[in-house]
Amino acid sequence: MKHLKAINNKAHTLEQAVAQDRVEEVLAMNATVGCTSTVDPGWETDVFGGVTGLCQPMEADLYGCADPCWWPAQVPDLMSTHPDWNKGASDSSQDWRKLDTVFPSDK
Amino acid sequence: MFKKNNKMLAAGAVMAAVMTAPAMADNAGRALQSGQEYMVVTNYPNNLHVIDVATDQVYKSCDLPDQFGPGTAIVSPDKSRAYVLSNRYSTIYGIELDSCDMSFRAVLAQAPGELARSMYSFAVSADGKELYSVANPSQKNLDHYVVGDPRLQVYSTDAGLDAKPIRMFPAPRQSYLMQAADDGSLYLAADNIYRIDVQTGEREVAIGVRDWQRKGYGQPDVLYLWPKQQVSRDFTILYAAPKFTDDTEDMETAEFMFGFYNINLETGETETQDFAPITEVYFTGARSPKDPSAMYAVLNRLTKYDIATQKLVAFQELDHTYYVLAFNHAGDKLYLAGTFNDIGIHDPETLKKVGSITLPGGDMSTTTPQVFIR
Repeated sequence: MKHLKAINNKAHTLEQAVAQDRVEEVLAMNATVGCTSTVDPGWETDVFGGVTGLCQPMEADLYGCADPCWWPAQVPDLMSTHPDWNKGASDSSQDWRKLDTVFPSDK
Repeated sequence: MFKKNNKMLAAGAVMAAVMTAPAMADNAGRALQSGQEYMVVTNYPNNLHVIDVATDQVYKSCDLPDQFGPGTAIVSPDKSRAYVLSNRYSTIYGIELDSCDMSFRAVLAQAPGELARSMYSFAVSADGKELYSVANPSQKNLDHYVVGDPRLQVYSTDAGLDAKPIRMFPAPRQSYLMQAADDGSLYLAADNIYRIDVQTGEREVAIGVRDWQRKGYGQPDVLYLWPKQQVSRDFTILYAAPKFTDDTEDMETAEFMFGFYNINLETGETETQDFAPITEVYFTGARSPKDPSAMYAVLNRLTKYDIATQKLVAFQELDHTYYVLAFNHAGDKLYLAGTFNDIGIHDPETLKKVGSITLPGGDMSTTTPQVFIR
């Protein structure tokens, strides 16, 4: 963690949770209430620091990451916060143009 | 109620999908044939498909209610019903495979204002009479959330469309996949893999994950969202772990290994077995029913390893990423599913692609294909 720096309120709260030994509660919220506390680098580079280990093409991984709120910073959370984000776009490889960027006010 | 009909086909959004995917036929009432091998798989926007494994054609399609996701399906022991976790991880539905009628529904939340999700965490008892799920509850108040303790919720599978838990027990946090064994116990993957007495809720560690004490290895990492019901009755989960080169346990010189945890649901036997050094990423793996000495794995490539020597035997480049693989009962066909709406069919010997099934509708996302014989 020494290379990561908290820059927003949620990240600061996460740091506090670590300091208070309450990480398990953070993990539980990840699964239930919007999951924006998740700090999970990996969408941009793979475990080897390259890109060949990322899903190919990126659309193949789009709903797999949006459904379970896996990468909420990179892909809107379909589980709780933006359940209608991909409405009318069932086939991500064909319908990706219908998928918009979301902002907090879009909830 | 949940049968496909012509009105759906007239809807504009569906018509757009028809341009690239097969049309949805009104075949909801088509009964399955005894002795035939099938595969169930779900996809966006709300489909439960049954594939005829002999012909690799879509045999029938059922509508799923409410919002899709994750659409994970498991098949009842008598092969008459598919249970599907959907509606954004909040509800488990039982769909009769012969009629497409919904005969079971369990909303995981248990109180007004409560949100409850299950992270792919549900299973049916070996006798088919009970369904288990771990719900992660939270209360959404005006200005804050209250996170509740995870619950193992036990349902009677004949409880109908407003099923309520008949027993509830505390469950570990980070619970995800589970499968039920023939002796009545439930195996649940969480921080460890637990064996649970479903009558009392008591649990014991069956396989240590967070608490594994494996000499010469560092802490394992696990990502597994696919509760595959295997022909061999194996409950398999992949892990990745550093294997130290000497007693200094230096991570800088450690070799990282893929392996699998396995519980045989018939015998209760457990295994922890490396099968490959980590040179690429895999999401799922399985041994062939035909040759259990070989381990297959998939994500961006399909690969085959000899478990004893941990050597790569064969590999196949893929058209795109697939999350999950499944064998037919004979072990002579290997299906790749998940992500988009096409299922790849591969020869398990050569790994070459021999066919494809394009599903009506959209992405499979993280769904799990289940192969069974009626």
